[in-house]
Amino acid sequence: MIRRLVLIALICILIPCAAMAEGAKFGIVLPLSGPYAAMAQDMKNGAMLATDQVNQAGGVLGGQAELIVKDSQLKADIALRRVKEMVEEEHLTVIGGNLSGAISLVINEYACKNNLLYMSYCYNSLPVGKEFCGKGFTSAVIPYQNPDALATYAFKNLGKTWMSLSADYRGFHDMMASWMYNSDQLGGEFKGNIYHPLGTRDFSTYIPRILAESPDILVLNNYGADQIAAIKQFSQLGLTKKMKIVISKTHLHIAKECGKAYDANIYGGATYYWNMKAAGEENKKFVEAFTAKFGAPPSGDAEAAYVGTKAVWQAIAKNGAADNVDALIDALTSMTVQTPKGSEQFRACDHARQQSILVLRGRGDQSKDWDVFEVVQEVPWEETLQSCENNKNNLPYGNVPIPTK
Amino acid sequence: MHILLGLALGAIYILLAAGLTIVYGLLDVVNFAHGVFYMLGAYAVFLVISLTGSFWIGLASAAIITGLIGALAEVFLLRPLYEKHQLYPLLLTFGFSVAVPDLMKVIFGLIGKTVDYPEALSGFILLGTIPFPKYRLFIIVLTAVVMTSLWLFLKKSDLGMVMRAATLNSRMVEALGIDVARIWTVGFSIGVGLAALGGAVAAPMVSASPDMGVEITVESFVVVVLGGLGSLAGAVTGGLIIGQVVSFVSLFAGQYSKVAIFIVMFIVLLVRPRGLFGEAGRH
Repeated sequence: MIRRLVLIALICILIPCAAMAEGAKFGIVLPLSGPYAAMAQDMKNGAMLATDQVNQAGGVLGGQAELIVKDSQLKADIALRRVKEMVEEEHLTVIGGNLSGAISLVINEYACKNNLLYMSYCYNSLPVGKEFCGKGFTSAVIPYQNPDALATYAFKNLGKTWMSLSADYRGFHDMMASWMYNSDQLGGEFKGNIYHPLGTRDFSTYIPRILAESPDILVLNNYGADQIAAIKQFSQLGLTKKMKIVISKTHLHIAKECGKAYDANIYGGATYYWNMKAAGEENKKFVEAFTAKFGAPPSGDAEAAYVGTKAVWQAIAKNGAADNVDALIDALTSMTVQTPKGSEQFRACDHARQQSILVLRGRGDQSKDWDVFEVVQEVPWEETLQSCENNKNNLPYGNVPIPTK
Repeated sequence: MHILLGLALGAIYILLAAGLTIVYGLLDVVNFAHGVFYMLGAYAVFLVISLTGSFWIGLASAAIITGLIGALAEVFLLRPLYEKHQLYPLLLTFGFSVAVPDLMKVIFGLIGKTVDYPEALSGFILLGTIPFPKYRLFIIVLTAVVMTSLWLFLKKSDLGMVMRAATLNSRMVEALGIDVARIWTVGFSIGVGLAALGGAVAAPMVSASPDMGVEITVESFVVVVLGGLGSLAGAVTGGLIIGQVVSFVSLFAGQYSKVAIFIVMFIVLLVRPRGLFGEAGRH
């Protein structure tokens, strides 16, 4: 008996006990406080649901799948500090999260230098140009994709003249480049852009300039509380009756919070809508599980976090370990993930998620509870995601001049 | 048009800055929780409209309900700290500004609450040949009425006179047999009630959300410092200036509209370190 115990102890010393099938850890940072807190909470819920489902199905690597969540406060330095803590103290090799493209680039750089797998949940340019280092993935899309889908629809159906109101922030500049390029290609007539600072509450002061130009389409490149304030005020001040508003990236919560102001004159881009009819049984199960657990259907952000997290656990299970990052990356790019939107893959050449873009339209006072959008069009990924070669060279959008400040 | 839009924008700053300056003038408390009361005003109008369906009842009761909450906070939380170092009330209000929004997130959730514009104030009104949004005009008129009433109250009523006296020398007022503690409570209630009114008025434009008071607290401080700490006339002038600055900078270089207000404050403080009405307003 004593001999047997000594033998077990020796095995434990020689082969680290941690390596003996004890589950795996995945650490994410999200801006759980600050202006995007509601959306970040939705992302957290999506990641938690994916992890719970893995554990209910028996866990990963013979143990529990453990999701570690930290608050970044929507600040790059704090996000980086939290990631470093997880890597140095918890010895994580797989990290993820984020709701800001700019912060995502900072974390990606750290992941590249420290050989970590980084699964970002937000719109960002990790697959493009010099940002791509082979370690970062995005479970959302590249910022140019939404405007690409929206511009094609808008210039065909809503009019040709347009102007834009853009938050002065990296991700929205990328979106602006896509609008400018597509306008040029599709015969749009650009009438000017207005930059506004993040956190703007009163948009009425921009209205005289917009009315003076009187475009067919007003493009909004902003998010969160800024977008809500803009929609509510433009609706109240009658702008939505004079022109169509097209929002590069919108959100379920934003439409819900705007209420009847988010009407049929307002269009928005998204990667997911919980009531998209084209989605099948996988989506039904996802929406039911999410709603039962969190009391409201999932947003696009929640879906991106759900898919990103599910893919990470699936890759770890496929690889048989969480500590060999290169093998994990191979696993991630060679497998198919069953997402709420169907069977999807992360492209091997640039780690972009191959997913469709939705053109949504507000339902205003026709909304019922959380059913706030009508899906006008679902654009296949092949029509918005640039080729590997183009992404590598940041083409065609990298060379497009955007309006100066 | 831009001048009028700037006036409407400035009107909300005036309501907040007036409240802030009354509290500072009377109690010597730098109220970092002022934005919290602005946020509570927005939630109060949402709740009352949900119950009664009337925006007008919501607007009136938002200021009263929040004013009462402010009175309770002053009596039970702030008052025990008056005799201690000035830092204590400051830290307490700072604590409020962090804790109360989190509490609201727990109670109401992270997603903001929609407050609809009243039907009567939807659309535009013609001012000469300029179509101007009715709701913005309402904000300007409401602020003018409230500030005139406040001025009359402080200048003409007995209670207002006592409040002004207590601002200058509270010990002397106490020596005359007047309950100064009660005056402090009334003053604090009025101050936070004005912030709540600002929040209630702003709610249809931005919706009620837990963090809505964070940035506007800083901007209100800019208005108060620009006008002169403790000066009601300074709060009004500061609000008008900042409203116009934001409005006109938005016209030419929108992304700099927020930075511009700090630049204006910096320039004014270089020329007049006590603000525009600082000397006249206090002592």
